[in-house]
Amino acid sequence: MSVESVKIYSRWTSLDSDQLFVVISRLIALALLITALSLLSPHFLTWSNLINVLRQASLQFMMSAGLTIVVLTGGIDLSVGAILGLSACISASLISSGYVVIGIGSALLAGAVCGVVNGVIVTIARIPPFIATYGMLWIAFGLGYVFMKGEVIYGLPDTFRFIGAGFVGFLPVPVTVALVLLLVLHLMLHKTVLGRSIYAIGGNPDAARLSGMPVTQRLISVYALSGLLAGVAALVVIARLNAADSGLGEDLLLPAIAAVCLGGTSLFGGVGGIMGTAVGSLILAFILNGMNLLGVQTFWQSGVMGTIILISVLVDQLGGTRLVRQQ
Amino acid sequence: MTDAAHPQVVSRSPILDAVVQAPGALYLLAILSGVLAIWTPNFFSTANLANVALQVAVLTIVALGMTLVILTEGIDLSLGPLLGLCGVTAALLVTAGYPLPVAIGSALVIGMIFGAVNGTLVAVFGMPPFVVTLGTFGIAQSIATVLTKGDSVTSLPAYYRWFNDGVFFGIPVPIWTTLAAFALTWFLLYRTKFGRYVFAIGGNRRALILSGTRVNAYHIAVYIYAGLLAGIASFIMTARMNAAHPTIGLGLEFDAIAAVILGGTSFEKGRGGIVGTVIGALAVGVLRNGLNLLGVGTEWQVAIVGIVIIFAVGLDSMRKLNA
Amino acid sequence: MDRRTFVKATLGAGSATALGALPQLTYAQAGKPATIAFFVKNVTNPFWKACRIGAEKAGKALGVTVETVAPTKPDNIEEQTRLVEDWIVKKPDAFVFVPVDYKALVPSIQKANTAGIPIINYNNKMTDVNVVTYVGSDDEVMEYEICKDLFKSMGGKGKVVHIDGVPAAITAQARKRGFERAVKETPGIEVLASQPGNYRRLPAVQVFENLMQRFPVIDAVVSANDDMAVGIAEALAAAGRGGKTKVIGIDGIPDATAAIAAGKMFATADFSGHDQAYLAVTAAVRNLRGQPVPKEMILPVVIVNKDNVNRFMKTPEDRDPPDWNTYASGKA
Repeated sequence: MSVESVKIYSRWTSLDSDQLFVVISRLIALALLITALSLLSPHFLTWSNLINVLRQASLQFMMSAGLTIVVLTGGIDLSVGAILGLSACISASLISSGYVVIGIGSALLAGAVCGVVNGVIVTIARIPPFIATYGMLWIAFGLGYVFMKGEVIYGLPDTFRFIGAGFVGFLPVPVTVALVLLLVLHLMLHKTVLGRSIYAIGGNPDAARLSGMPVTQRLISVYALSGLLAGVAALVVIARLNAADSGLGEDLLLPAIAAVCLGGTSLFGGVGGIMGTAVGSLILAFILNGMNLLGVQTFWQSGVMGTIILISVLVDQLGGTRLVRQQ
Repeated sequence: MTDAAHPQVVSRSPILDAVVQAPGALYLLAILSGVLAIWTPNFFSTANLANVALQVAVLTIVALGMTLVILTEGIDLSLGPLLGLCGVTAALLVTAGYPLPVAIGSALVIGMIFGAVNGTLVAVFGMPPFVVTLGTFGIAQSIATVLTKGDSVTSLPAYYRWFNDGVFFGIPVPIWTTLAAFALTWFLLYRTKFGRYVFAIGGNRRALILSGTRVNAYHIAVYIYAGLLAGIASFIMTARMNAAHPTIGLGLEFDAIAAVILGGTSFEKGRGGIVGTVIGALAVGVLRNGLNLLGVGTEWQVAIVGIVIIFAVGLDSMRKLNA
Repeated sequence: MDRRTFVKATLGAGSATALGALPQLTYAQAGKPATIAFFVKNVTNPFWKACRIGAEKAGKALGVTVETVAPTKPDNIEEQTRLVEDWIVKKPDAFVFVPVDYKALVPSIQKANTAGIPIINYNNKMTDVNVVTYVGSDDEVMEYEICKDLFKSMGGKGKVVHIDGVPAAITAQARKRGFERAVKETPGIEVLASQPGNYRRLPAVQVFENLMQRFPVIDAVVSANDDMAVGIAEALAAAGRGGKTKVIGIDGIPDATAAIAAGKMFATADFSGHDQAYLAVTAAVRNLRGQPVPKEMILPVVIVNKDNVNRFMKTPEDRDPPDWNTYASGKA
C-alpha cells in the first residue's frame, strides 16, 4: 500500500495509519474466518444464519461500545454488565406495566446515573477505575437483586418487542441501531472536542491536565456515556428475551472486554477506536456461531476466546502498532 | 510501618507514621471488628475467628502473589481459573492412582507454566498484562472444564483432606501454609535482589532497562511465583470441599486484587507491600463474615460490599492526597 | 449471712452467669421462637423465590422464624461453604439445606452434623451426611415421564435438541439420565445435539439461536428447566418457528405456565419449590418438637400441559400449602 493511498484512506475514514492497520488486519481475519466456516458447515452461509450472527454481534457491540470509549481514556469499566442488568430490570418492570416510553427512558437514565457515579468516584475521589467500577459492579448487582426480589419479569408489549425482534427493511432493528451507534460514536471520537480529548487523556493524561482541558468533566461524561450505552443494550436484550431477571448481566463483562481487545483498542489508553470494536464484535459473534454450528462443546468457548485475544494483541505488537504507552 | 517501598519517609515517630500510613483496610478492619463485637455475640468467639482465618487463607495466599504482580504495574486475571485448573489436575492424578508428590508436583508445574506464559508475553512482547491474563484466564478455564466435563472431581483419598483439616501443634495446616507463603514472600521481596527488581520494575522500569540488567527474567519470575502460589492454594481449596471443581476459583482473582489495593498497594509506581495485603484479605473476610453473622439479607450484602470497597479505597486516596 | 447479703450475692452470681453466658447466646436460649436457616442456591432464579415463599409460609403457620441464606455470587460453591460455617456459629435450630454442589458441600455439612444442628436436605440429594430427612422429587423419573409423554405426542419419532442445566448439578445429571432413558426406549427419536445452558435464560437462548441455524428442522426441545425453556420458546416464536417445535421444561414457574396456556410451550413438570420448601420446613419443626418425620419425602411427578395448566396458574404466594399427611408415609 503506497504512502499516498494510506493518507487518502486515513483522511477518508478519520483513522490514523495504526488504527487502519488494526481494522484492516481484523477485516482480513474476519474474511478468513467466514471462508473457513462456510467450507466447514453448510448451514453457515445462509441468509438466516448471517442475520442471526449480525444480530448477536450488534448486541455485543452495544455492550462494548461504551467500554471502548472508557478504555480509550486509559480506564476500564468492569460494571457494564451489572449496569445492563440493573437497567434491564428497572425498565422491564415499567414497560411490562404499560409505560413503554418511560420504561425506555428509565433504562437510559439508570445507566447514565451509574455511569456518572463511576466517573465521579474515579475523578474526584481519585479511586483507580478498576476498583471504582468493581465496586459499582457489586452495587449495581445488589440493587438489582433488591429490586427484583428473585422474580422474573416476563411478557412485554409487542410494540416494544419490535426493538429486539423487528426489522428495518431487511436488517433487524438491533443491527440498525448498532450501525447508527457506530457512525455517531465514530464521528464523535474523531470530529468533536470531546472525542479528541478522550484520545488526549488516554495518550498522555498529564499533558492533558496541563493543557487546561477540563479533564474531570470529560471523564465523567465518558463514564456516563458507557453507562448510558449499557442501558441501550439492556433494552435490546429484554426485547429479545421478552423477560428480565437480576442475573442478566452476569456473563456479559468478559465477552465485552474481549470484543474491545480484539478490536485493537489498547488497555493502556489512547490507541484504538470504535471501528475496531465493531469488527471485534463481529469476529467474536462469528466464532461463537461457528462453534455452535460445528457442534463444539461450549466448554471450549472461553479458551477459544482467550486464544484469539492473545493472538490478536500479539499480531498488533509484532506489527509494530503503538500499543505500549511511551513512558 | 517501614518497608523498602518507602525509603524516603523520614520517621519522626514510627508509631505515628504507622497509623498515618496504615492502609484503609486497617481502619476498615478495626471499625468492623468493633461494630461486630458490640452487635453480635458470636463474632469474637474462638470458633468464629478460627473460621474467618481459615476462610481467608486461600485468598491471602493468592493475594500475596498478586501483590508482587501489581507492584510491577501488572495485573493477573488468570489466577482464579488457574487455581481451579491446578486443583483439578492434582485431583485427577490422585484419583487415577498416581502418588501424591506426582500429583502435587504436576499441579504446581502447570501453575508455573501459565505464569511463565503470562510473564513472557508481558515482559518480552510488551503486551498489556490485563489482556494477556484475560486470555490465559479463558484458556485455563476451558482446559479445567474440559478435563472434568464441567463436573467436580470427587472420591479423593482420605489423606488429601489433610491440606485443610490437618493440624500441627494446635494450628491448622492452611494457617501454617499462609504463614509460610507470607514468610517466603517477605524474604523474596525485602531481602533479595529479586525483590528490589520487583519494586524497580514497577517504579522505574526505564532506568532499570537502561542500566543493562536482565529485567525480563525477573519480570517473568514474578508471574511464575504468582502461578506457584495459586497452585499451592488450590490444594487447600480442594481439601476444604473434598472435591475439585473447575470453576471454584472464578472471581477469586478480583477478590485478590481488591485485597491488595485495599491493603495500600497501588496500581502504579510500584508502591505497597504484603503486610497491607494480609490486612486487606482479613478485612474482606471479616466484612463477609460480619454481614452473615448480622443476618443481613443477601441482596443488600452485595451492594454493601461494593460500597465498602469504594469507601475504604477512597479513604486511602484522600489520605495520600493530603499526605 | 443476712438476707441483704444473700440477695446481693444471688443477684451478683446471677448477673455474672448471665454475662458469662452472653457469648454463647443462641437463638433458642434468648427466648425467641425457633429459627430455621433456609438455604437456597441464588437470588436470581425465580424457582428459589418460590421455595422461599413456601418456607416462609410454613414458618408463619408453625410459629418459627425462617431466615433465607444465599450466596452473593449465584451458585458459588466457596461462598456457600462460608455461609454454612458462619451459620454454624450462629447456632440456629435447624438447617433446611440445598447444596450448590452436592459433593463439594459435604465437608461443611459434616461440620454442621458435628455441631449438632439438625439438617433437612431438600431439592438436591446429598450423601455421606446425616440428615433428618430428604424432601425432593426424583429428577430422573420426572424427566423420564415428561419425555415419554412428549415422545408419545410426537408419534414416537422426531428430531430432538437437549439443553442441559449446570453439568455439575445433581439435578442436571439426574434429568439427563432420565432423558437418555426415555430416548433409548423410543427408537424413532433422534437426538440432534445436547448442549448446556447452565439453567439460565440468556446463555441458553444464545446457544439455541445458533443451533436453530444448524438444524432447520427441530421437532422438540427438551430443556432441563423452565427458565431456559421459556427463553427458547420465545426465540422460536421470534424466528417464526413457534408452531413447529414442541418445547418442554421443568419447574412450573409462572412464565412457563403462561407460555403453556398461550400455546408457546408444550409442557412442564410441576417441580414445586414452594411445596418442597414448605414440607422441608414443616419437617424441621416437627423434628424439633419430637414428632415423627419420614426418612424421605419424594413428591410425585405432575406433568403440566394445556389440559391442566389452569390449575397451576397460581403464583407461589397464592398457592395452597401441601398436606403433610399425604407425604408422611414417605411416598405420595
